[in-house]
Amino acid sequence: MAAVLVHIDLDGARPHASSLQALAAGRAVASSWGATLYAAVIVHDPGKRAGDTALPGVAAARLPGEARAIEAVRAALARGGADKIVVAKTEAPIAALWCAVGSAWQGVLDHLRPRLVVFGADAPSAVELGPRTGARIGARLFLRARAVAGDEVELRDRDGSYVRANDGGAAVVLIGAGPRLEGHGDDDIDVMVLTPPGGADPRVELGAAAAAEIVHTTGAIIAIGDTAAGDPEIVKAAERLAKVLGADIVGSAAAARAGAVAPGRVVERGAALAPELCIAVGGPAIDLAGAASLVRVGSGGGKGGDGALAGAIAPNLLELVRLLEGK
Amino acid sequence: MTARTPGLVVAVWLGAAAPVRSIRWLDGTLRAAAKLTGATAVAAGPQTWLDLAADRAARFGLASVSVPTDLALDYLGWAQVMAAVARRLDATTILVDEASRPERLAEVAALAELTDAAQITHVVALAGDAATLHASRAAGPTLQTVRIQGPAVIGLRIAGPPMDEYSTPTPSAVMGRFDLASLGLDPAVLGHRALPPRANPQVRRTVERVAEHLAAYAAPRKPGKAGQAGPAGKLARSAKDAKDAKDAKDS
Repeated sequence: MAAVLVHIDLDGARPHASSLQALAAGRAVASSWGATLYAAVIVHDPGKRAGDTALPGVAAARLPGEARAIEAVRAALARGGADKIVVAKTEAPIAALWCAVGSAWQGVLDHLRPRLVVFGADAPSAVELGPRTGARIGARLFLRARAVAGDEVELRDRDGSYVRANDGGAAVVLIGAGPRLEGHGDDDIDVMVLTPPGGADPRVELGAAAAAEIVHTTGAIIAIGDTAAGDPEIVKAAERLAKVLGADIVGSAAAARAGAVAPGRVVERGAALAPELCIAVGGPAIDLAGAASLVRVGSGGGKGGDGALAGAIAPNLLELVRLLEGK
Repeated sequence: MTARTPGLVVAVWLGAAAPVRSIRWLDGTLRAAAKLTGATAVAAGPQTWLDLAADRAARFGLASVSVPTDLALDYLGWAQVMAAVARRLDATTILVDEASRPERLAEVAALAELTDAAQITHVVALAGDAATLHASRAAGPTLQTVRIQGPAVIGLRIAGPPMDEYSTPTPSAVMGRFDLASLGLDPAVLGHRALPPRANPQVRRTVERVAEHLAAYAAPRKPGKAGQAGPAGKLARSAKDAKDAKDAKDS
């Protein structure tokens, strides 16, 4: 039976919300295709390596760490629809980098040889592990995809490319955030523990971390122009849209003085940003050319945009909120 | 020719197509590479793009080489091309302009896989001394500092100076050329990584179509209780029901 593998990032002691959405998409696909759905989580285990087990590299189903936290993760993944849970232990401290967890993840890939690997697009590890996984198994790669129902469930990305049951070859898919999940699945599921060889990549040494400036954001932003920032209706609508998208609102110092932008979200005129998604509201004086996806609201278009809504700004923003909340 | 940074042989992968909206990020990558002396810029694809790449590289004092081809490949296909060039240049460090086109990010990982190098994405600042690179990397709300020794592929998102317009480049006389055969690559084999032809995407101009596009970026919602299913839950449940019914019928 084919394997569908979902990578699970942890957010503290719980599965990351984006990983759970990937799990929901994986559940839909696995059920439709008749595949087994594996949820894999990588955990730090500084203790003795589990090379003393009956099966090489496979230990008994006992998870390291604090028992109640582990049980909470297991229960969440079971409710999320996983058929089996794989825990890969690594001596390396966990970081959302291939150089930290790549060898452990490779152990999971080698063990399961999945046909489809799914990540939550907003999960911390997705950007480093997703494409590298695709390259390692020679897979097609799909960014920001979602499950679409038909005769069989398929995964379709923002460009219209898709993964279907009868496709040849492997695929790696980053699932864009989707709708609410349903409690689902059997609570009594198998847990497999792997202890792959290798630890962190010694060529990379992680140093200190500090708070990033807003110009370095890689997520979603709403960039608001000065005129739009002076309109309370637009600001309120932009805030609602920002909440739905999990986006930061950025703008000039003038927009901050108008109360539309928080002090730490001020971007100097002409500064360049490269977020994954930018919604430009009312012509902000910010260089947004580095955005992977750009939507303009309140202007007719421009070079290389994905969407442009002309006309009154606030009603368009509120309609977007209404439509997105209903999806 | 400028002297190389000791221990580092740097190649800069500029990709197989011109930037989507601005050459500012291309310039930023080239400027960062120029600080690591002896770097070579590499581009592949159609001639107009190669001319632009050579012109921008020359402005920062970088040598450049090209791989002219009409192929339209996926991330792994272009990574095979660049990895072959990197081998010819004996490059130990490959910098990638990650922000000019969305597909470039995946090429960082594919190049690292093919060259068995360390992989670092989302780098916003880079400096080198002797055989060590020091990078600052955007990781969500934090900025990580990273030290890298040995072979590495590094995705850069460093902007150059603001630029509204630039002069149309003329064909470069100094840009080196590799054809696929000289790199040991077979176009027929590379063709297995070809992308299907697509019409140019149209700008979405209705609120429904824009919402459809944005739906893939919506913030994850918290799990609901059983029986409070949204569309994803319903999708999973109906798919599972269909599977159960099929299994029952088969048995």
